[in-house]
Amino acid sequence: MPKLRHIAIAAEDPEAMAEFYKKAFDFVEVGRPNGHLADGVFLSDGTLNMAILKFKTDQLGKGMDYRGIHHFGVMVEDVEEFTKKLDALGAEHYIDQAQDGHQAGYFEKKFFGPERILFDIAEHGWAGAEPLPTPVKAAAE
Amino acid sequence: MAKLRHLAIACKDPDAMAEFYMKAFDFTVARRGDGPLAYGVHLTDGTIDLALLRFKSDQIGKGMDYTGLHHFGILVEDMDAAAQKAESLGGKHYMDQSDPDRTGGFEVKMYGPEGILFDVAEHPWTGTEPLPVPAKQAAE
Repeated sequence: MPKLRHIAIAAEDPEAMAEFYKKAFDFVEVGRPNGHLADGVFLSDGTLNMAILKFKTDQLGKGMDYRGIHHFGVMVEDVEEFTKKLDALGAEHYIDQAQDGHQAGYFEKKFFGPERILFDIAEHGWAGAEPLPTPVKAAAE
Repeated sequence: MAKLRHLAIACKDPDAMAEFYMKAFDFTVARRGDGPLAYGVHLTDGTIDLALLRFKSDQIGKGMDYTGLHHFGILVEDMDAAAQKAESLGGKHYMDQSDPDRTGGFEVKMYGPEGILFDVAEHPWTGTEPLPVPAKQAAE
């Protein structure tokens, strides 16, 4: 089954916000993304990647001063298969992984679901996120 | 370590949105609820509660028309200790669960830096994974 493995927060000061969650809940810093879409800090609770980001574009249409939870990400076994499935369900494809090199921890495809909720799907996983569970059949082999 | 175990989306039509995520990702319904704060559907991927909620009040100051990601929730071993620690770091207490016997949802709501709303609970959200057993305890 696909798994929620990523939460992204739009912040004015990612570093200060990351310090709060590190100190309050012992989340661990696992990266400092610096790309053309956003800069920030990646934290992990050992299962999910929590990305605290200062975005460089208005992906949501809520304005550049939007602060709050921004999008989430679902880890899937096969991005292409899920792309077809999402298209069939009416999701709107937004953008793909940047062509200027894969950077571990980034999205692979972004979609708008119902009510224009933005989410990512990825099969390689975000930095610090737990891999998908091994299917029972494969684990038994 | 505390764990992210809840993600809430503010939406107009929780039932339609739930259908989408159930069909898209095989998430299952953990529960449906109509409480004083919101009507909605709680999905689970087996680990996390994805709550699709039509809120009845403006908890995050973005207006009642706001749709989008709303708040997240963190499962902790000791809620009082975690809430105190968050407050000592500048977090602001927002509200407590009004029904002290109710578990499976938030127990305390707080605002963190930049007014980001999050829940803290020491009982797992319905349908979600509990905290891992500490290695020392598991070995006993």
